Amino acid sequence: MKHAPVIRLAAAVLALAALASARAEDLVPLKVELPKPLFVGTPRPIKVSNLEPQQDAANRPPVMVPPGTALLSRGKPVTASDSYPVIGELGYLTDGDKSGVEGSYVEFGPGVQWAQVDLGAPARLAAVAVWHFHAEARVYHAVVIQASNDPAFKSGVTTLFNNDDTNADGLGKGTDLAYVETYKGRVVDAKGVVARYVRLYSDGNTSDELNHYTEVEVYGRPVN
Amino acid sequence: MPKTLSRWLPLAIVTVAALWLRTRGLALRPMHADEANQAVRAGELLETGRYAYDPRDHHGPLLYYGVLPVAWCRGQGTLAGLDEVTVRLVPALAGTACVLLLGLLAAPLGRWPSLAAAAFLAASPPAVYYSRYFIQETLLAASALAAFVCARQWLREGRARWAGAAGACLGLMLASKESAPLFALAAFAAFLLARAAGGPPLPGRPARGLLAGAAAAIAVTALFYSSFGAHPSGLRDLLGGYGQALARLRGANTGHEKPWWYFLRLFTWWRAGGLVFEEAGFAALVLAGFCAALARGTPLLRWAAAYSGLVLIALSAVPYKTPWHAVDLAPGFALLAAGAVAAPSRTRPGRWAASAAALAVLGMLAFQADRSARAYASDPRNPFAYVHSSPDVLRFRPMAEAALGRSPDGVIRVISEEYWPLPWYFRGLARVGYWDRPPADCDGALVIASADLAGAVRSRLRGAYAESYLGLRPGFVCVVFTPRP
Repeated sequence: MKHAPVIRLAAAVLALAALASARAEDLVPLKVELPKPLFVGTPRPIKVSNLEPQQDAANRPPVMVPPGTALLSRGKPVTASDSYPVIGELGYLTDGDKSGVEGSYVEFGPGVQWAQVDLGAPARLAAVAVWHFHAEARVYHAVVIQASNDPAFKSGVTTLFNNDDTNADGLGKGTDLAYVETYKGRVVDAKGVVARYVRLYSDGNTSDELNHYTEVEVYGRPVN
Repeated sequence: MPKTLSRWLPLAIVTVAALWLRTRGLALRPMHADEANQAVRAGELLETGRYAYDPRDHHGPLLYYGVLPVAWCRGQGTLAGLDEVTVRLVPALAGTACVLLLGLLAAPLGRWPSLAAAAFLAASPPAVYYSRYFIQETLLAASALAAFVCARQWLREGRARWAGAAGACLGLMLASKESAPLFALAAFAAFLLARAAGGPPLPGRPARGLLAGAAAAIAVTALFYSSFGAHPSGLRDLLGGYGQALARLRGANTGHEKPWWYFLRLFTWWRAGGLVFEEAGFAALVLAGFCAALARGTPLLRWAAAYSGLVLIALSAVPYKTPWHAVDLAPGFALLAAGAVAAPSRTRPGRWAASAAALAVLGMLAFQADRSARAYASDPRNPFAYVHSSPDVLRFRPMAEAALGRSPDGVIRVISEEYWPLPWYFRGLARVGYWDRPPADCDGALVIASADLAGAVRSRLRGAYAESYLGLRPGFVCVVFTPRP
């Protein structure tokens, strides 16, 4: 607890830094609807605070977004590298069900896999939130999130998040931190990039070789 | 076709199919902590010739000695040279022998029903899964089936050599695992129960056969537990092993306590995380066979019903349960299912219906066996992949080799409350150390810490390290510290 003031100070500095980065308009905290914590079977006690030093999921500062930012991805079509998921359907990614129970997540095969959300039209993206699988403490490997107007992601690609420290995905090494999955998911700042498609990669996880998505949410504003 | 060939060819084909199911892709599944632990002990025996029975969770010596001939055949003589295929071939060959032995044991049911019994066991998901798994259970099952076959021959022919062979196989059972007496007692009790409803007369001079059997059993048991005379106190330790086994069965906070219906669920319908592993059709045949045995079964079928019932009750009654005990139930269940197939076979429509049911169940069993043993071999939703290592464990060895390549004089530190199966994967590497709490000096060419201890380790590191994360098993994450260049 003796570090609490330091943590609060760090959070305040980060929040101020985020505020300072606002250019022409005021920013407001992004409010992401969170599913309830899920406990399946006997909980396995594992302390994970070391994975994100000084910044655990509970104290992670909110991503700051422009006023009027809305959820754009609900019900939008999804494609994936694995067209025939082992379990679930691609539509689960954008159906709003983040409960994490059986029937709420889609499971792709082993190795590097991606899932892609088509927003239908280019939008100015504010944030991307992803819940892989939160029924158990696990870390997904080589998580990369990209945005583009090219559905093939061959041109105009912006990388929003990359913790692939071994270049397993073949998209270049990333320096973002790996993290343990929880019901809070992971919210990534999209920095106002304009894109129609959002693609998410992973390469298995610390429990098995498979790739899971419970929900993906893309926030932003349509581009007129 | 010669009569002998036509008689034995179908069983040979089933046995070859069983061998194929049990041996293809043997090295693909990551090593379970129990497998790794025992493989390292087997490698030490192979390398040094030394073995001493350890009654604490390591079970009998047969598994370790069983590795020797396979390793020699494959030209492996050290722990570093040993591989997954070699150690897993031991249970795989034992599991294949189980199929052949059950075909022989089931012969009184008739030609096709006995073949069906062998085929059911060949495709049984738990039998296939644990025949590819370097633990004692399949060796115990094979020894037990061999003992039953020999004992039946003794009962039929009255020759003492069959009794001696049965005793030797009982010795192998005892050399497999401390739970062996349970199955021997269940088999004997089932024999008495089955005979209560009638049966052939006992052989003449039974005392002579019993004496030969007992002598053989004691001799084989003593040979293995004394490490072939090199470690006589192993025999004394065996008594302690039985005490530990009894304490475990009573199930005081072992972490393996499960409800009484656990094995019934394993053999019927298991759903987890969107996956279903089921043997409902097979279970229906087993139930039908049980009923047929009670109604008008042959002595063999009555014995199978009594034996399976007693073993099921015993395993279900104790709180301590692990899924590999299903291997001990599978042969008896296969016999009962074959009995169900045999029951309506006296008429032509009955034979067709029985054949169709048997083939349908066999197909489903083979499908389930393949997906549990291969596609979902280490998936935590697979009921047989019990507290299994995650595929991430395969990544540790390349990281360690790369680290030692960068720093040939460096040390690899594993600092974790649990670290198996890593010692198996790090076999042959120099300067690998294991700590269950952070030492004063944590620096190394590669430092692997459990998530719980990573904070303390991080605070003691003097150098600059990059951090990445690998899983040991579901829910157990390790932090890997790699020195920055």
